[in-house]
Amino acid sequence: MFSDYSSFSRRRFLSGFAFASGAIATGIGSWVIRPEWANAAEGPIKLGIATDLTGPIAYAGNADANVAKMVVKEINDAGGLLGRPIELYIEDTASNESIAVGNVRKLIQRDKVDMVLGGITSSMRNAIKDPIVARGKTLYIYPQLYEGKECTPYLFCTGPTPAQQCDEFIPWLIKNGGKKFALPSANYVWPHTLNIYARKVIESNGGEVVFEEYYPLDQIDFSATVNRIISNKVDVVFNTVIPPGVGPFFKQLYEAGFLKNGGRLACVYYDENTLNINQANEIEGLASCLDYFKAVTKDDPASAKIQATYDKEFPGKILFAAGSAATGTYRGLKLWQAAVNEAGKVDRDSVAAALDHAKIAEGPGGPAEMVPGKRHCKMKMYTAIAKSGDYEIVARSNGPVDPKEC
Amino acid sequence: MASAFAAAFEILSFGAIIILVVLGLGIIASMMGIFNFAQGEFVLLGGYVTYLAYSHGFPIWVGMMTAPILVGALGFALEGLIIRRFYAAPIVAMLGTYALGLIIRESVRGLIGGFYIAVPEPIGGSIDIGTVHLSAWRFIIIVVTMLVMIASYLLLSRTTFGLRVRATLENPALARASGISTPMIYGTTFAFGAALAGLAGALIVPVFSLFADLGIRFLIQGFVAVMVGGVGSFIGPVAGAAVIGTLSAALPWILSPVVADVLVFVLAIIFIKFRPQGLLSGKGV
Repeated sequence: MFSDYSSFSRRRFLSGFAFASGAIATGIGSWVIRPEWANAAEGPIKLGIATDLTGPIAYAGNADANVAKMVVKEINDAGGLLGRPIELYIEDTASNESIAVGNVRKLIQRDKVDMVLGGITSSMRNAIKDPIVARGKTLYIYPQLYEGKECTPYLFCTGPTPAQQCDEFIPWLIKNGGKKFALPSANYVWPHTLNIYARKVIESNGGEVVFEEYYPLDQIDFSATVNRIISNKVDVVFNTVIPPGVGPFFKQLYEAGFLKNGGRLACVYYDENTLNINQANEIEGLASCLDYFKAVTKDDPASAKIQATYDKEFPGKILFAAGSAATGTYRGLKLWQAAVNEAGKVDRDSVAAALDHAKIAEGPGGPAEMVPGKRHCKMKMYTAIAKSGDYEIVARSNGPVDPKEC
Repeated sequence: MASAFAAAFEILSFGAIIILVVLGLGIIASMMGIFNFAQGEFVLLGGYVTYLAYSHGFPIWVGMMTAPILVGALGFALEGLIIRRFYAAPIVAMLGTYALGLIIRESVRGLIGGFYIAVPEPIGGSIDIGTVHLSAWRFIIIVVTMLVMIASYLLLSRTTFGLRVRATLENPALARASGISTPMIYGTTFAFGAALAGLAGALIVPVFSLFADLGIRFLIQGFVAVMVGGVGSFIGPVAGAAVIGTLSAALPWILSPVVADVLVFVLAIIFIKFRPQGLLSGKGV
């Protein structure tokens, strides 16, 4: 009886131990998507995605993971890359830098991925770039629009930079809004750096910055700011306040009569997701400048095809939107695919050399190409305004816009 | 002049919002001796119920009326199931209620998908006085806050229920000996505090939009308000909320907002250092 009990207990302990060590080894929040022909002769190419699957910006991270699944499926269905299948490893960065670094190390050391794409916020990029690029000796693609100035070797950026978001947009705002700008901003690195560039463009185009002010990230009452905007007769509010503050801020501006008096709202991270923060009439006419809007699909068949595939595979609330880095993710993966095809192998230096001048003819918003030696991406930019809860394209760049970085 | 009037209105309206949020927190802290760290999430739930009603096609004010009832009921259930076990250990109660809040917050985040969602107000637009535009909804919040404050005060000071609550707070053993069911009183008081939070959430969600961190945003300010006002009475936390709300809304008019944000807390700490019992100390109403 006693020996029966003990052997049962030992077996149970071992099986429990095996389960626990398995769980510890793979971790929760780790996903491996293995194609059916993963046992091909040369073995699969391993692609790592590290993004915010959980946490406050999970809607963006999940969109990026969806895009990666979509692109990888497409490549695998078409015969893979260099005749080898792609195996997709997705890790959660959880909007928490210390968790992220641990999970990224798993991608590099345990899974030995050939490339990592991911990170949404700049603080996340700064936290995970060292484990990937320096210690991990792996290629890294960062897909989000950001403040620029990231010039680390082997780190490629595929989202818009301040130059791409301001050079065409601000002259449009001066023409369609006025010369007096206010720059209300959240107090962190992106607004600070973007504003330096924006101010330069505003002033060189004959505009004037009436005030530039920074707020705590969780501030949600903006009565003093709204009053300054109204009493200074500001024409354009070039906003970099982020959620949760941005909703109440736009509402207070609307209630104070800013739009009624002909004021123009502008916000360069506004995409299809952020439209829902306010009621449509509170942000009527808000202008944004991004590499892609869903409205672009009307006259760009390539974008329409990508959007339709995404909507078919991932119907629901997780949108394919530029502000979520979803378009940068698509562009990054396709450019990487082109680079691997050109290099004919997957080692870091060969792929980086090819990626340095990689081009794609079709992407969300149009073609894209890397600027040689700059590790940033030329792309077409669109200016859109909010009209009763949707966007309407009002201006588009003549061809790809230069990122002007590094 | 017009600008000063607008400023006064905005400061008053933000003060009213803070008072509304702190009312329930203060009642639970003063009448039960529990710092309820889940209070912010009760506010969030109030907002969420309002959004649910709206998204299912009900008029928005139906959601606003339902929110305090549902959140109050949830508060009653949670008190009976969980909070009740913490009365002996206030520190554990803080951790326990914090955990509870975390569960509610993350569940709501999952339900709304981490998005920020606009909830319209039943009465929108602005009241125009000359060149000054005042938000109609903020004006209504000020009025409702005053009514709720007066009603709560009368409930606690003039009714038998209020008397029983105060008796239970002052001397639970004697209250029980006099035939008052103290567990029932605790349950009802907690439910009442939760219902007030639910009402606050329902009223402020059109102003700030619905997002999972709506409640936690006010929690810290709420606690500072309770500390400054003084625990033990009904009026104390309300007075504290008025001070903190007014300060946080007024300072950005004269100082850089980043400095103002910190300064509110610095002033509160200095105040508590010299007057640890708070603005209005003592038990009772």
